[in-house]
Amino acid sequence: MPEAWLRVWELLQLPFMQRAMVSGILTGVTGGLLGSFAIFRQLSFFSDALGHSALLGIVLGVLLGVDPTWVLLPFGVVFALGVTLILEHTQLSVDAVLNIIYSSSLALAVIALSLIQGYRGNLNQLLFGDILGVSPTALWLSGILLLVSLLYIGLTLPSQMLLTLHKPLAQARGVRVNWQRTMFVVLLALVVALSIRAIGVLLVSAFVVIPAATARVWASSFSAYVLLAMLLGALSAVLGMLGSAVFNLPSGPSIVTTQLLLFVLSLGVKGARQTVTFSQG
Amino acid sequence: MVEGLTVYRGSRLAVQNVSFVLRAGSNMAIIGPNGAGKSTLIQAILGILPRQCGQVWILGEPLRLSGYLPEQVRQQVAYIPQSFQFSGSMPMTVAEFVALGWGMLRPRLPWVGRVARRQAVKEALERVGALHLLAQPLGQLSGGETKRVLLAHCLVWPRRLLILDEAPAGLDARSEGDFYQLLEEVRQTLGWSILQISHDLDMVSRHCDQVICLNRSLIHQGSPQTTLAPEVLVNAYGAEFIRYLHHH
Repeated sequence: MPEAWLRVWELLQLPFMQRAMVSGILTGVTGGLLGSFAIFRQLSFFSDALGHSALLGIVLGVLLGVDPTWVLLPFGVVFALGVTLILEHTQLSVDAVLNIIYSSSLALAVIALSLIQGYRGNLNQLLFGDILGVSPTALWLSGILLLVSLLYIGLTLPSQMLLTLHKPLAQARGVRVNWQRTMFVVLLALVVALSIRAIGVLLVSAFVVIPAATARVWASSFSAYVLLAMLLGALSAVLGMLGSAVFNLPSGPSIVTTQLLLFVLSLGVKGARQTVTFSQG
Repeated sequence: MVEGLTVYRGSRLAVQNVSFVLRAGSNMAIIGPNGAGKSTLIQAILGILPRQCGQVWILGEPLRLSGYLPEQVRQQVAYIPQSFQFSGSMPMTVAEFVALGWGMLRPRLPWVGRVARRQAVKEALERVGALHLLAQPLGQLSGGETKRVLLAHCLVWPRRLLILDEAPAGLDARSEGDFYQLLEEVRQTLGWSILQISHDLDMVSRHCDQVICLNRSLIHQGSPQTTLAPEVLVNAYGAEFIRYLHHH
């Protein structure tokens, strides 16, 4: 085992590994922050749907011959605004609208991929991401996005909490519901779109949903819940990356598996504590 | 003040050409049968629902068609909805919820005014006799406790107008009586104006000084004595309702 840790230490000296670690922490913190609101606004499926739809954005990037990151960001914003617009003008439920958009985007992406002659892209990398290949530019963008998310949520916290709790009460207090909802969804879309290359279209939603769900198991106040979700997001990234280095496993899936382990562990410990309290009471 | 207010819900006319004036310090009730447009009227006054025609002035300030009201005026208006349904698993303490009623909603750092906010939350909860619930999760309160906490959410910041949409709905008779007593104490102490929807005609006759009877359009408005007269109620609810009242 010490040999394995020595390897981890050596790996951590490498710039690409350091970038991957910082990227995981930034994505974990941002995912935890936005996810803690998203799971109570019925937006858990949103990040999943955007992740799947983003394959179309990546294919567009390949077709246009540009770095997919620069296509994914506007693609995410258009996706978010499109979903918001359709929801405002139809009687359909959120999951129905998201399903329509993401399955049709996925179908179009697969057709487009089959038409690109000579495409040698690694589909595995698209599906599960490559956090070890994160570029310094993507890292800077992740940092800026975290800062913007912290500022936006921090400065409008009462409005965000009211809107998440009870929409009519928020409206009566003067919260500009459509504006706030659109801003939040656009921010969430940007975070998801930016994280796709590192974590992959299939796993990106886990960063939004699982740390927040784990934090919910422990927190009884909203402020503690949000802070804990951010902390768990970062912690799972660090533990997942270390685990992937020790056991030589793919990094993105290792982080998501760590998130899942922390969630299951939380449920188990909490359940056991409640059983003890109940039997003592 | 409301003048010629007309509201559609989808393609259905819900409220037609309603006008009335709520005097400062008054306790006004809106009565009428189910589907009469009472909740729609209140939601249009608050700017939650868009209106098709008419004007609404709140504390002398016009409510724009978009529902916009200047922040200074908006924060003087409090609202208690008919049903306060939210995800019960959402982690939020009573103190956090009451604190959401404090201050303006313009962008500010979360720690600005923290001490004053905490003090105001304690005072508001103490006033409604719910200080012991301070650290309780919001999702674990009983119906009566929830109503008290909602009232504390309104009391935590200086207001002038309280709008209630069947606030005691779902409470037992004792909790309902306690709630109305609390409301009356608050009104008398702080001089708030109250606009409330109610199905409890007995409460309306005891606590309210102005009543409007609605059935999509205004049927009658005036004092409880004139508005609760049998001929007005027959017109709004039908003759069956009066027979029911006599039997109970």
